[in-house]
Amino acid sequence: MKKYWAIFKLQLANGLAYPGEFIGRSLLILPFMWIFFQLWRVTFEASGGAEINGLTLRSTLWYLVIAEVIELSRPRVANTISEAVKDGSIAYILSKPYNFLWYHYSSSLADTIFRALLNLVLGGGVAWLLVGPPPSLWGLLAVLPLLMGAWALNYCIAALIGLLAFWVEDTSAFQWIYQKLAFILGGLLIPLDFYPAWLRSIADVLPFSAVTYAPARLFVEPSLNGFLAALGQQALWLLVFAGGLGLLYRRSVTVLTVNGG
Amino acid sequence: MSHLKFLLAVWKANLQSAMEYRVSFLAQMFGMIANNAIYFLIWVIFFDRFKDVRGWGLGDMYITFGIAASAVGLVSILFGNTFSLGDIITRGRLDYYLSLPRPVLLHTISSRMISSGMGDFIYGFLSYAVSGSFSWDGLLRFVLAVMLAAVVFGAFLILVQSLTFWIGSTNNLVQLATNAMVTFAIYPITLFDRMAKLILFTVIPAALIGTVPAEFTRQFTWQTLALLLGGAAVFLALAIVVFQLGLRRYESGSAIQIEV
Repeated sequence: MKKYWAIFKLQLANGLAYPGEFIGRSLLILPFMWIFFQLWRVTFEASGGAEINGLTLRSTLWYLVIAEVIELSRPRVANTISEAVKDGSIAYILSKPYNFLWYHYSSSLADTIFRALLNLVLGGGVAWLLVGPPPSLWGLLAVLPLLMGAWALNYCIAALIGLLAFWVEDTSAFQWIYQKLAFILGGLLIPLDFYPAWLRSIADVLPFSAVTYAPARLFVEPSLNGFLAALGQQALWLLVFAGGLGLLYRRSVTVLTVNGG
Repeated sequence: MSHLKFLLAVWKANLQSAMEYRVSFLAQMFGMIANNAIYFLIWVIFFDRFKDVRGWGLGDMYITFGIAASAVGLVSILFGNTFSLGDIITRGRLDYYLSLPRPVLLHTISSRMISSGMGDFIYGFLSYAVSGSFSWDGLLRFVLAVMLAAVVFGAFLILVQSLTFWIGSTNNLVQLATNAMVTFAIYPITLFDRMAKLILFTVIPAALIGTVPAEFTRQFTWQTLALLLGGAAVFLALAIVVFQLGLRRYESGSAIQIEV
């Protein structure tokens, strides 16, 4: 585990060496939060009530802050792995005394944490200015372990897509579709609370809601029961996808052919 | 005329090059159509629950989203390098285009085709077809609106990326500007106040690739047509002037490179 911790620290140091680059990328959350505020302000005004399906304008906007922090902070691992497979640089990592998947996980986690902090500060800052402080500061404490679970789960799915490059020429179509399914069924742009019942029940049993909706919803309405349910949901899906990833990786390595040096 | 012939030859070569990897080309095309369709479900869900946003309904969203998708797709297909112009400038890859007897900007931006753009382009037409406002004369207006919106979008990309001549790497700025442009284009214009609308017609001209062309598609008025034509002409002229001014500051990368 020590070597992965070292990789994590190295990547973190890399990020800190180019803070301008990271801050520049994180600015994206600013127009997003502003446009979300416009949309939901008008929608709440039109509904005539202060609350829609248990959410106020303030809690909706803070929900979207956490959802965006999760989405915008997740590194594009599928692309990295897929490129490594296509250009053959995977062979370089395979010859080193560490596991390929753990290497990418620890390295991507460092980027993720750094970006998440910046996104949280910038996105949270805008939300605070527009609708006031978050409904509960306890939510932040409760959401931290769930954020780690969300990124781990996202990593497993993204790495699975990246490894498909062993069999298909281009994995970008899979990446787009995964991203959009995560948008819709994860509740990235609209909280699942506003979905029709039939779609909500489908979203609840799929892994996407464990990545985005569960942590974001818990943030605006923290409770022990909610926390345990979200943790259980993430653990279950992690088992499934981590298992699948392990199997696919073993299969991938057997079909790998390395030519030259 | 010779420029048009040249462009047709470049586009033909780009298409042949993309079709060399046919499976990848088709996967990207259909993948992008599916991607857009899934993304649009957000609006279907939203309007199913909230019906309308200050008079703006799902039918309006179909047309607006369709115009924006087709315009972005058209730029990706015909002028794919507008998305990476800044990178080309930074890496000194303009050397190649400067050494050839063709207009530098035109040659540079047309030298790449982004296969997924075909999916965006087709999706836009499908979106208009199911909008509930389809008509044959509307389709003609849709095509004209897409072309003018594409000019604005392409010119905007050139403008932002040309800043590389002055400020160096613009990767983050380009990403921010492109995302803001596309995001604002596919949100109902009725959400915004006067100040925001002014921004959406000038600094980030998203209204000219979403709302205004969608209005023109729904109903012909000379005023909207003039706005579209004027917007396209102004942004295109501005993009060309800024690029040419920047080109005077360009320093060769002196790198050995092969364009394929």
